[in-house]
Amino acid sequence: MRKPDTTGEYAIPNVETRGASRTDQLPMDSDAFSGFYQRSAPALRAYLTRVSGNHALADDLLQESYLRFLCATCPEGGEVNYRRYLYRIATNLLRDHWRRPRAACLDDVPEQFLAARDGLKRIESQVTLDPALLQMRPRERQLLWLAHAEGYSHREIAEITGLNAAGIRLLLFRARRKIARLLRKQLDADRGQA
Amino acid sequence: MMLSNCTYEKELTQALKDGHWPQGCGQELRAHVNACGTCSDLVLVTQTFQRVRSESDIAAPAVSPSLLWWRAQLRRRNAAEQRVAQPITIAQTFAWSVTALVGIIFVASQYRSGLHWASWWSELVPSRTFHLLSVGSEPVGWNLALLISGLGVLALLSAVVVYLASEKS
Repeated sequence: MRKPDTTGEYAIPNVETRGASRTDQLPMDSDAFSGFYQRSAPALRAYLTRVSGNHALADDLLQESYLRFLCATCPEGGEVNYRRYLYRIATNLLRDHWRRPRAACLDDVPEQFLAARDGLKRIESQVTLDPALLQMRPRERQLLWLAHAEGYSHREIAEITGLNAAGIRLLLFRARRKIARLLRKQLDADRGQA
Repeated sequence: MMLSNCTYEKELTQALKDGHWPQGCGQELRAHVNACGTCSDLVLVTQTFQRVRSESDIAAPAVSPSLLWWRAQLRRRNAAEQRVAQPITIAQTFAWSVTALVGIIFVASQYRSGLHWASWWSELVPSRTFHLLSVGSEPVGWNLALLISGLGVLALLSAVVVYLASEKS
C-alpha cells in the first residue's frame, strides 16, 4: 500500500522539496488512503465515541488521528498494522485529552453519554450497551472495546495502550465481570418492562 | 477479586472471534458456558460489543478522506518549511546576540574611559560628515575601530558557521 508517489488529484504543488527523502512522503496515495479510510474510520470512530463518551470530541480526534497517521512514518506490514498504529495514535490522543487541565479527567463520567444525535433512533444493542458503559471508567471502556469489539490480543492491547501486558488480563477480567453484571441488570430491566 | 483461570476460555474466545459460537461449537463447550460464570460473562460481553461494532460500520465518517489527505499534505509542507527556516532563525538569533554583546562591551569600554559621548558628538556634528581619517588620527580611536570591525567580522562568520552547522544537522 505504501507508495512513494504523492502526486494526485489533491496534490499540493511543491510539497516534495528537492532532495526529499522517502520518509518525507505520505505513506499512501490519495486513492489508497481513501479506501483505507472508508474501511477503518467507522470502527475507529465507534471506539473513540464509546471511550470518550463525546461525539464531537470523537470526530475531532478521528480527524487528528488520520492526520498524524498520514504525517508519520507508518509501520510496514499492511493494513492490519496500519489499523493497530491508528488505534495507538487515537489512544494517545485520548490520553493527551484527559491529561489536559480542564473540567473532565480520566475518571469523569460525561453527562449525556452517547445521546442520540440528529433525532436518529439508536439500535437495540447500543441501547443495552451504552448505559452499562456509562458506569465504566474510560480505561475499562478502552480495554473492553479493544478486546471484545476489535478482537485484539492482550499483547496488541498493550502495544496500543502502553499498559503492561501482564496487567491487562486482570484489568480486562475485572472490567468484563463488571460490565457483564451491568448488562444482565439492563437486560432484566428490559424484560421486566416488556 | 480473584482472576479465574478457566481452561475453556481460550477456545471460547477464538470461537467468538471467528463467529463459530454457538452453532460451530461442541456440546461440551456449550454445557460448560452454561455452568461457568467467567465464560458466560465472556459470551455476553463479546456478543454485545461485536453487535455494536458491526452496527457502527454502517455509519459514514463525518469527513471526506480527500480532505484529510489534502490537510496532511499541507501539514507536511508546513513542517518541511519550518525545518528549512530553523537554521536561519538560529543563525539570526546568534548574530543578534553577538552584536548585542559587542555593543555592551563597547559601551562598557567607553564608560571606563570617561564617557566622552558629548564631546565626540559635538566634534562630529559641525562637520556634517564622518571623516574616517580624523577618527583614525588618534591611536586609541584606531584600536577601537579595529576592535569593533574585528568583532563584527567575527559575529558574521560565526553566524555563517552556525547556519551551515545547523543546516547540515
